[in-house]
Formats: sequence, C-alpha cells, structure tokens
Amino acid sequence: MATLRDIKRSISGVKSTQKITKAMKMVSAARLNKAQENIINSRPYYRKISEVLMQLLAVEKNYEHPLLSESGEEKIAIIAISSDRGLCGAFNNNIISEVEKMINVNYSEQNKNQNLALFCVGKKVNDYFTRHGYKVEKGFNGIFSDLKFDFVAQLNKQLANRFVSSDFDKIIVVYNKFQSVAQQKVTALQLYPIKPENSEDKVQLVNLDYIFEPDKKTIIDNLLPQYLNAQLWAILLDSYAGELGARMTAMDMATENASEMISSLQLNYNKRRQAAITNEILEIVSGANALKGN
Amino acid sequence: MKELNIEIVTPAKVAFSGKAKSITIPGTKGSFQVLFNHAPIISLFEVGFIKIEDLFGIKTNYATSGGTVEVLNNKVIVLAESFESKEQIDVRRAQEARDRAQKRIKKQSNENEIDLTRAEYALKRAINRLKLAK
Repeated sequence: MATLRDIKRSISGVKSTQKITKAMKMVSAARLNKAQENIINSRPYYRKISEVLMQLLAVEKNYEHPLLSESGEEKIAIIAISSDRGLCGAFNNNIISEVEKMINVNYSEQNKNQNLALFCVGKKVNDYFTRHGYKVEKGFNGIFSDLKFDFVAQLNKQLANRFVSSDFDKIIVVYNKFQSVAQQKVTALQLYPIKPENSEDKVQLVNLDYIFEPDKKTIIDNLLPQYLNAQLWAILLDSYAGELGARMTAMDMATENASEMISSLQLNYNKRRQAAITNEILEIVSGANALKGN
Repeated sequence: MKELNIEIVTPAKVAFSGKAKSITIPGTKGSFQVLFNHAPIISLFEVGFIKIEDLFGIKTNYATSGGTVEVLNNKVIVLAESFESKEQIDVRRAQEARDRAQKRIKKQSNENEIDLTRAEYALKRAINRLKLAK
C-alpha cells in the first residue's frame, strides 16, 4: 500500500523525467532544423550531378565501366545505417529487422557461405550485429556527431576498390529515409553496381551539341565516384535528420505520457489525502461524541 | 545585358549564385574563359582558381579542388568539390594538410602508388589554397 509520501515521491520522479524528455525534445528539434537545412543544401549538387551523369550514360549506352557492370549476386555487402544513440523510438529496430529480413529471405545462401558482409554505420546496428554473430566487416561509431564529407569519400573509396576487385558483386544500403519530422521510411537501395536510370525524357539535353572536354568517357569516369559520394552523403544526411525527427517524436510522446502519469498520480494523491482528512475528522468527532455521552 | 547566370554548387551547399560578365575555369586541357554566348560545353576542371568577373568588371579569384562545369544558354553550372574565397580559406588547416602530404610523399616514395597519387593530390590542393590566401 503506497503511502502519501510514496505517491508524492513518484510524482516528483516523473516530473524530473519529464523535464529531461522535454529538454531532449528541444535539443533534437534545434538539431533537426540544422539537419534539414543540410539536406536542402546538399540537394542541388546531387540532383545536377545525377542529371549530367545519367544523360551521358544514356548516350554512351555501351560504355563498360567496372562500377556499372552487373556480375551476379554471389557476394553481397549490406551497409546498415542507424544512429549512435537510442531513445528514438523504433528508428534503429526498423533497420535491424529490415536487414535481418533481407539476410534471411533474399540472401540466406550467401550468408551460409560466408559471402555476406555487413558494414555498420552507427553504434546501434554495430552493437546488435556484432552481438548476434553476423560477419561485421567494418563498423563505424560516432560519425553523426560531426558528419564530414571526407568520411563518405573514404568509405566509398574502400567500397569501390573492393567492388572492382570482385570482393563484392553487389552493395546495398539500408537506411531511414527522411520523409517528414514524424515519419521515416526504411529504404533499401543498391549502390554498386550503379544502375543508370532509363528515363527517356531526360535525354533530350544531350542532343544539343555539347562540347565535351576532354571527352565523354573521361567525364563519366570522373563523375561516377562523385555521384556515388553525393549519393551516400545524401543518405547519411537523410538518416541523421530522420534520427533527430524520430527522437523528437519519441520524446514528445514521452513528455505527454509523463503528463498523463502525473495527473493520474496527482488524482490518486488528492483522493488519499482527502480520505486521510475525512478519517481524522471522523475520529475527532466520534471521540468528542464519546466524551459528550459521558 | 550580356550576362551569365552562374551557379556554383558544392556537396555542402550552393556556394555562389549570381550574374557575371565572365568566368574562367581551370579546365583539364588548360584554363578557359566563358563569356556571353559561349557554346554549350561539359568540361572537367582541375585544382586551381576559378575567376569570376562581376558586372562591374571586378575580378575575384576562388580556390577549387576540381569538378565539372556545364555551360548552356548562358547558364553556367559548376559542380565543384570545393569552392572558397580568399577569406574563407583556413590557412592553418591548409598548411597542416600540406605538411602532412609532404611527409607522406617523402616516407613512401615507391611503396604504394595509390597513396602516393592521393598525397600528391592533397598537396596540390593545399598549395592551391595557400596560394590564394597569400
């Protein structure tokens, strides 16, 4: 049986938790603003570079570049992107379950033959997959606090090298795509080999007589890695903004739940208090009555 | 008015957007200037300076680490890996990068060719930045 003092204590406990969740929500909101700005700022580069590249690829259909060539599905690498910290709802679990589903359904054969490698970006996935006995090729912790384009360039360089030297036939990334503050969508995307988009309406630009310096193929060679970098960069920014959004929503809900809890505790407290007072009065009155009777 | 619409974008942001008389790009086959009514071109460019001449004829140099440029109908779109004005350059960071690259080049002259080209490229970028900042 909880005493009045116990209830009071738990009210103050919930209140201080609420303060923390509220503060976390505010911090996430502030960071989210910046992250969203970053997404918007990075878009023109990515859009333009893919536009130019896809047009060139559409013209040079038969161009064979190692980054473009399909070579089956024997050896797979999956890049899982999560957050470093928790308290962001189902954000990380969604990634984990999607990756596990992918491994068990699509690539169980490769997994059995040790031909499936995982790259884990973010502490949460890294911890999970290491603990559960998956072959984690490489894990990266703590990159989101200070996200640098260099990281993307380095990672892509490694991936490209290993893809070209046939360590992997296909590299897939699984991440949370930022849709809105309250919504993230788990998305799987093939990074290597690069899939040229075959949209005919975009091709018209190339029919204009461009001068190509030095020549189309060299330009494609140069654009491919830049395109990959811009793509992965956009993915990381998306995931980070998604994480902050998820945390904001989760903390908002936690704050609300705390409010509910406080009000029900407060109600309970008031009832008990009233009951105690009534009891006391009853005792006094009956005591007085007993004296009167004498 | 004979003017160019210039947009310079880097992975991080739109670094420059505005009108200008001309822009000079450090192309792979030598530097070239884009004036009004330049033929459509898609070109790569290298580490060097991008020079923009604004509508009043004032010329400003910017340091870049290479990229791609597209010119079409007097619209110039520059996809640059980096784009910095003299004021934006972090001199100390560039100096550190230069020293680091030089050390690396000295240490492993022939051992690893990829690392060597990378170090040389880093050195080139750092020297380019310092040249502008001076």
